[in-house]
Amino acid sequence: MNLEALFSCLSSSACAVTQVSTALIIGMLLFMVASGLSLIFGVLGVINFAHGAFYMAGAYIAFFTYQATSSFLAAFLAGAAGVGLIGVIFERFVISKVYGKDILMQLLVCYAVILIFDDLVKMVAGPEYKMMGMPEVFALPPLELAGGFVPAYYVFMIGASLVIGLGLWLAIEKTRMGKIVRALAINPQMVGALGINTTLLYAAVFGIGSALAGVAGALAAPTRTLTPGMGLSILIESFIVTVIGGMGSIVGALIAALLIGFTRAFGAIGFPLFVDGMMFGMMAIVLIIKPSGLLGREVTR
Amino acid sequence: MTKTTKGISRRRVLKGAGAVAGLAVFGTPHIAGAQAKVIKIALPTILSGRVAILGTSSRSAVQLAFNQLNDAGGINGRKFEVVDRDSKGRPDEAAKVTRDLVNNDGCEIVIDGEASSGSFAVHEVVRDLGILCLHTCSETSSLTADPKQFGKNVFRCARQGIHDAVAGGSYAAKIAKEKGLKKWATCSPDYAYGRDNTAEFLQYAKVFEPSIEVVDQLWPKLFAPDYTESITKLLQVKPQAVYSALWGGDLVAFIEQSNLYRLFANTAYFSGGLGDPPILSAIKNLPVGLNTAYRYNKTFPNSPENTAFNDAYVKVAPNEPTNWAWQNYAAAQFIIEALRRTNASTDSSVLAKEIAGMTVKQPFGGSGITMRESDHTIINYPVAWGKTQSKAPWVTDYVDTEWSKILEFEKQWKKEKGYA
Amino acid sequence: MTRSGMLRDAVIAIVALAVLVAIPFVFTKPSLRDFLIYVMAYGLLAMSLNLLVGLTGLVSFGHAAFFVSGAYMFGLLMQSGNVSIPVAMLITVAGTAMLALVIGAICVRLKEIYFSFITLAFQMFIHSIILTWVSLTGGDQGLRGGIPRPPFLGIDLGNSVALYIFCACVFMICIVVMRQIWQSPFGYTLRLIRDNPNRANYLGVDIIRMKLGIFVIAGAMASVAGMLLALFVSGAYPEFGFWTTSGEAIFMIMLGSSQLFIGPIIGAILLRLLEHFVSIYTEYHGLVLGLVILAIVLGLRRGVADFVVEWIERRKAARAPATTEHTACAKEGAL
Repeated sequence: MNLEALFSCLSSSACAVTQVSTALIIGMLLFMVASGLSLIFGVLGVINFAHGAFYMAGAYIAFFTYQATSSFLAAFLAGAAGVGLIGVIFERFVISKVYGKDILMQLLVCYAVILIFDDLVKMVAGPEYKMMGMPEVFALPPLELAGGFVPAYYVFMIGASLVIGLGLWLAIEKTRMGKIVRALAINPQMVGALGINTTLLYAAVFGIGSALAGVAGALAAPTRTLTPGMGLSILIESFIVTVIGGMGSIVGALIAALLIGFTRAFGAIGFPLFVDGMMFGMMAIVLIIKPSGLLGREVTR
Repeated sequence: MTKTTKGISRRRVLKGAGAVAGLAVFGTPHIAGAQAKVIKIALPTILSGRVAILGTSSRSAVQLAFNQLNDAGGINGRKFEVVDRDSKGRPDEAAKVTRDLVNNDGCEIVIDGEASSGSFAVHEVVRDLGILCLHTCSETSSLTADPKQFGKNVFRCARQGIHDAVAGGSYAAKIAKEKGLKKWATCSPDYAYGRDNTAEFLQYAKVFEPSIEVVDQLWPKLFAPDYTESITKLLQVKPQAVYSALWGGDLVAFIEQSNLYRLFANTAYFSGGLGDPPILSAIKNLPVGLNTAYRYNKTFPNSPENTAFNDAYVKVAPNEPTNWAWQNYAAAQFIIEALRRTNASTDSSVLAKEIAGMTVKQPFGGSGITMRESDHTIINYPVAWGKTQSKAPWVTDYVDTEWSKILEFEKQWKKEKGYA
Repeated sequence: MTRSGMLRDAVIAIVALAVLVAIPFVFTKPSLRDFLIYVMAYGLLAMSLNLLVGLTGLVSFGHAAFFVSGAYMFGLLMQSGNVSIPVAMLITVAGTAMLALVIGAICVRLKEIYFSFITLAFQMFIHSIILTWVSLTGGDQGLRGGIPRPPFLGIDLGNSVALYIFCACVFMICIVVMRQIWQSPFGYTLRLIRDNPNRANYLGVDIIRMKLGIFVIAGAMASVAGMLLALFVSGAYPEFGFWTTSGEAIFMIMLGSSQLFIGPIIGAILLRLLEHFVSIYTEYHGLVLGLVILAIVLGLRRGVADFVVEWIERRKAARAPATTEHTACAKEGAL
């Protein structure tokens, strides 16, 4: 424990800026993954354990698109749309068959999908490490801000995640469709009785939630190594985020993701050995005090 | 459901399951009667998950070696078959798979392509079975240096932590002296190998250049996808040089993410794991002038044998050779030489007696790599360090360390550890 | 539970044990013994988890925490060299029960999915303790140097046949104990809690205490499974306590049956057989296993053992009228 280092960092603007940006870099990408997980749970009541595999799929799709087109925009869109499509297919042909069954059945099919995806990636892309490389547009020296440094790409990444997150929140809170989706989460029979095609809506929500994992994968591809099995660690972290924030709450996911981001960024300076324990500890404490998470509502399904 | 039917069905199911299990385990087509001709070599290794490349490159190398032998007519009319199996990176699975390969598939020699913790599990199994085994991927010194771990028929054909530490330490000290690098930091994965490797490197770097001072040590998690917090911490601490035991995909991510912060513009970098060609070619933006240990290079040594190995390897494998590839290929050469000398004996202790103390000319080591008799581990393998450049073959200017120097410090180290 | 029921169970247990013990003498290949020990260890883990999942309706995601604590406690006790194997086993079971009591006291207060989450959190916590406490546990390299097996009461577990027979006996004792719980009034109370907690509450059942009771028992049983595996591989590794191990145990239950008493064992046998053969033929065993899981979940929509039992019953039901018809026809033909 080195609180002195922590305080001296907070009092120097250079250190504070760099570490706060670090927290945002870690937190926002985590938020992209966790918000999809949370959205799917909130509306469909399904814990999509295959979400990490979707993140991996997004990264690989972006990687191959970038290789083919050399356009980061195309890679980004392909990652999002491709994984969205995978999500819809997965919902229609697999997950929808186990709605209402116990959670173990859902867990099992997700486990199956993780196994299948990991091997498919190994078959198609090989077992070796892949790196997409930084697109030309972002190949700039890091921006200097009050003595601290923030790489240009990360500024874009944080901005893109914020915009997407905000768009998602607005769509759910302020649009008619969002209202219907919220109603669907609470009373699907009633929504169906109003003549709305709930089957289609479920598939769409699942697709959007998955696309968010695809977005995160595509955003990560220029800076993170692509290997089969890369979805595993992000799954655990985003799972912690969703539990702390409250399953089903987008704002909760944002707060919890930033909490994890700040814990990691400043933990690296103040208490490097306890960062992991802190994360599980926070999850346990939240579960004991308020099982439904910071902003979640109690679900009884 | 009534109780009686439950009872009956349970019995029936139990019997059925037992029968299936019995039938299945014995009906294996792999216990061929043709054992007299083909000699099977077991290769338990990791073929799935994040370090699958360790297993696939080990497998390609071992297969290459034995296919070359088969094509040349085998030994004494006998041919060889490599039977690989995935342990999924789980030590208990590695132990079970190894037992299976020996007991069920009839393998008579084991090449253990497990990473560190798996290799200790396999070590227990092969000592128990008394079968000939060469560990080819574990670099942990204690596996062979600790006399408690000694196995009559067990060897290690892989670089060893202590050798690397002396070679790396002396190389780093020389550069530190030249360039006045006094403030050092480390950034290594938080697990046994990362911590031991880093501590040993620093120990010898300080022995050779006492002015080196360690200002900070960072321990990101193994397989962490993101190193931003460690990189920005390094920016705060501003060391003149960084040592890192990161390897594989972790290292690729670390280098690319560091590039975003221009970390290597003012900081010298020393890496134990950067020298693998698949890593070097995966990094899109490889900075020039990073220091790395030799892991494999097709131009070092610049000999026809090495070129031939590289060309033959890339023909059968999906990647360029890795550190694991040369270690496995070298292990296969030791086994093949022992088989030649004994007219293809499959008696483990006979083969082991040949391998102990054997020196074989290899594409990788100048005058040949030796399997030291006293502790069953290799010496005289390449321990050079080089500098990165921006195009293939990626690393050049290799500087070798004298093996006599390494062995001298190793002797001292063994005494300190109570191993000798 | 009736006396005759108990007698029948005892007879079945003795016959099953006799069969298990006889196997290495009939089929002498060591690989079958290895396979069976492996299946017994993981089967026991799945069986103990099913006391929570199938019997009580508590879906624990963190059961491997007790599996790994069993393996490590036992391994450390044996490496200390102060105790004999049976004593170490008893201490380990007691120690793990204590651990389960502490963790369970917090967990069982949470309902449904939140229970699952918190068990997962505790498991990951224990896993990270094992990784960080290197001086005691050896960190990621596991307990190295082998687990000594000093002979006791004239039994030498260094002999692989003796080890197998020992494991079979321990395994069968645990199965019998769990069977007693499964059929006891306590077991029926747990079923009531699973199916209708409100009713249980009205009847004056102390739900928390009952849940905690079965949580501790299941944890203790899981520690025995961990010890069997530690004895077999002569070591203990952090992977034993990773969440994928808990996931596998859940998978075994689902593959077999959560409602048949021996369902999880059947699942364990099926899964291990499947993995064994698939990984011989292809390195893409994940792909094959994944497709098999999907086929089972989407095709059968229940465990394999459930399916077989239902199929047998349906056939029996179908055959009964069919036979009458058949005889009727025969009679007509005779006429």
